[in-house]
Amino acid sequence: MPYPELFAWWAATITWSIVFLTLISIYLYINSAKRRRRPDQKGQVAGRLTSDFAFVWILLGLLVLYIVSIDRGSATMFAAGNVVVEVILLVYLLRNKASTAE
Amino acid sequence: MLDQKATVTHRDYWSMDRSEVYDALGSGKDGLSEQEAQRRLDIYGYNELPRETFSGLRILLRQFNNPIFVILGGAAIVAGFFAEVNQSIAIATMIGLSVTLGFFNEYRAEKTVQDLRQNVSVKAVVTRDGKVSDVDARLIVPGDLVSLYVGDIVPADMRVLEAKDLQLDESTLTGESFPVEKTPSPLALERATPQQLTNYLFMGTVVAHGTGKGLVIRTGKDTEFGSISKTLARPHPETEFQIGVRKYGNMLITLTLLLAAGIFGLNALVGHPIVDSFLFSLAIAIGLVPELMPAIVTITLSQGAKRMAASRVVVKRLVSIEDFGNMDVLCTDKTGTMTEGNIALNSYRSLDGSDDPKVLCYALLCNSAVVGEKIVGNPMDSAVWKYAMDNGEEDRTKPYVVLDVIPFDYERRMMSVAAEKNGDVVFISKGAPESVLARCTHREVKGKSEPIGPVLESVKARVSEYSKAGYRVLAIAYRTIGKKPSYSVDDETDLTILGFLTFTDPPKKDARQAIDKLRDMGVSSKILTGDNELVSVKICQDIHVPVKRVVTGADLMKMNSNEIRVAVEEATIFARITPEQKLEIIKALKGNGHIVGFMGDGVNDAPALYEADVGISVDSAVDVSKDAADIVLLEKDLLVLSKGIEEGRRVFGNSIKYILMGTSSNFGNMFSAALASVFLPFLPMLPMQILFMNLLYDVANFTLPTDNVDEEYIRRPTRWDIDFVRKYTLFFGPFSSLYDFLTYGIMLFIFAAPPALFQSGWFVESFWTEVLVIFVIRTRRIPFFTSRPGKWLTALTISCVAFGTIVPFTPLGSFLGFAPLPGEYWILLVLMVTTYLLLVDAGKVFFYRVCKF
Repeated sequence: MPYPELFAWWAATITWSIVFLTLISIYLYINSAKRRRRPDQKGQVAGRLTSDFAFVWILLGLLVLYIVSIDRGSATMFAAGNVVVEVILLVYLLRNKASTAE
Repeated sequence: MLDQKATVTHRDYWSMDRSEVYDALGSGKDGLSEQEAQRRLDIYGYNELPRETFSGLRILLRQFNNPIFVILGGAAIVAGFFAEVNQSIAIATMIGLSVTLGFFNEYRAEKTVQDLRQNVSVKAVVTRDGKVSDVDARLIVPGDLVSLYVGDIVPADMRVLEAKDLQLDESTLTGESFPVEKTPSPLALERATPQQLTNYLFMGTVVAHGTGKGLVIRTGKDTEFGSISKTLARPHPETEFQIGVRKYGNMLITLTLLLAAGIFGLNALVGHPIVDSFLFSLAIAIGLVPELMPAIVTITLSQGAKRMAASRVVVKRLVSIEDFGNMDVLCTDKTGTMTEGNIALNSYRSLDGSDDPKVLCYALLCNSAVVGEKIVGNPMDSAVWKYAMDNGEEDRTKPYVVLDVIPFDYERRMMSVAAEKNGDVVFISKGAPESVLARCTHREVKGKSEPIGPVLESVKARVSEYSKAGYRVLAIAYRTIGKKPSYSVDDETDLTILGFLTFTDPPKKDARQAIDKLRDMGVSSKILTGDNELVSVKICQDIHVPVKRVVTGADLMKMNSNEIRVAVEEATIFARITPEQKLEIIKALKGNGHIVGFMGDGVNDAPALYEADVGISVDSAVDVSKDAADIVLLEKDLLVLSKGIEEGRRVFGNSIKYILMGTSSNFGNMFSAALASVFLPFLPMLPMQILFMNLLYDVANFTLPTDNVDEEYIRRPTRWDIDFVRKYTLFFGPFSSLYDFLTYGIMLFIFAAPPALFQSGWFVESFWTEVLVIFVIRTRRIPFFTSRPGKWLTALTISCVAFGTIVPFTPLGSFLGFAPLPGEYWILLVLMVTTYLLLVDAGKVFFYRVCKF
């Protein structure tokens, strides 16, 4: 691997970016729930966390993909992983199409 | 002879007789000489109100009043100091470009308004050297003798010298809707309010009846009219948009300074050369500053103003367009805005409730309107004649000869005439029902006179019903009387009530449609009027404005500030209110967090027009109102209001897009560059490369003002929300940083890139993501599929991306220190940028739908 001494900080920056995004998402989510005073119904919490945070799960998946593919120096793995993620994102966006256009 | 202005301004001309006034003002029955008039013009100046003069230099200097340019200017100087002449020139070019664009757009907009103003000139009939001639009202000086006729606008403050049934409409000055009688008689007053000065004529008021002559005592800013406009000579309060942009600028400056200082400190700490570290941190700071924001905002605003001009709406203050769009409460005067402003006769009824030609005939006889080519006089008397002429009833008065007239006055609130027909004299009185009924002893029933006593209450109840139905009512009564040389108010007794005239000021044909449209757009309407509440309620019913609560001026006077803040939320109609109360209502609404528009056309509306976030006036309004207004409707068409609001929302929407772009992708890029500079053994991008990317990014944004705005954005008012911008930045900024870090990984660990290749790879990725993300950020919908971007935006963005892509392969790229990129990189780049754009779009779903921002 070229520049091996830089890999650790690179992995740290990309990890921190995704962790930061995740934390901000949680903050905004909690903030908006307070703002709207939406009572949480226990039975639905798990289901809603899955759907509301879908893009965060995708982000975390991307983190794994990017670190592994770049660690291996594999452009093919990187490209293939991106295509898969794009398909997942497209499905997510199309499912949310109606509500986004509201 | 006058030597000092002060002697003119402060003397009590009201107590002098005619010869004393002539002496005091150095004039006479032949007026001033032309020579003396010219001399006084040199002393007192033009008879016009002070207004901001048109100055290209001032517009140019205003462009620099921006903290962003202060930073950039400082950066240019510092870069020059370190012999980085190219950077210095590049920064100076950016400043020059922004200033030039802003200047030309504002210059053009102000010139249009200036040209519009210069089209209006007022003439006055002035006697000088014994000759009567038309003189431009601007050239009138103290001591000029001016003749006045019905319909004239009084050109300056004057002392009345001659008057024949002279009545003035002073509503533009005092808000009083009934004409005021003026006489030359001296007044024995120590001090006087304008309302008490019955021998003064005030600039801007209108001759409603009769003729007269006056000697000018004060001109221009020294007049009563001028003193009102002086109170307006303070700077316009900042609009909400201006406050928002200022706060946003401050937020960016703080961030920029912190980040630049941090980068410089860290780079120096890890051993990078000091000058390189400084220039790099400077370039990052420049990259963060949205230096084209003023130009983008001005272009957006001026394009909006141009489109509004096509709808006959002149925008005097560009920045008010945004508040026009965001306005959620519109306060408006009733007369002339919601109504036609033309009072029409509705009925002329006898006591049995049917229209009676005799009532109409007596109303035509007992009438102060002057009928010639045009009907002039007080609005109600004119309305009676207009009705008669439109319906072929004007000949009814032909058998009569009017022997004497006892004019209207405010104590009696009625007028009377004595008219003869075939040797019999009838004395007719017309006026306010309570005044006329108080003088009636009989009523006419089927041509016979009977005592009124038993039915007096039911007659009064009928008057009340008419008022509740929204009509203004006048009573007609008469008595037979013997012929004599003259008649007086003493004859106004033992009258027989004949019937009533009812009048209406019909709502405008488009008023209902306009109000409905405003309501659909989230703008609630409130009526602020000096008129009575019953008439106002009727108008609201006619135009389908739901009336939740009616508050009168008297009610307001009894309220404390908290009660007023509640009342302004609940009430739809504020009736019988003074100009000061209009101001109070607007301040309370603003205090409650509303963006308030006010539409008015009189002098008494000017302070409210100034205080409102958006002051709207009409071209036929008095000058002081138009001066105070931000927006002038060239036609009294209420529907253009909604078009203006749409335009305002479009402008606001596009300005916000630029801000959101700058604070998300741009900020993310600069943050990742800053961080990388600390760990990399070389700079992630050279300062010149950052400046070049920044310039290219700005060019790509130039067509943002022409972009389409989604319908839902236009449907409701949107507020500037710095908290929203902050959260948006926090959330979307890291996406851009994430992909920058990813690019670093690809360049370092897959391509083992040397500095030039690394910088080229990051430049292209950074530029692609930064520019293409506009298609995602510009809408809450799915880009392209449910929201199409403007064609110019698409064309220029794609062109810029294409240019940025080929730059590393060109001599310019070599000059900037770029190296050609390998083919494999482009495949990864396309995949990576596609994922980035889809991810940001998914983040948008989370941000707007899940978190409901």
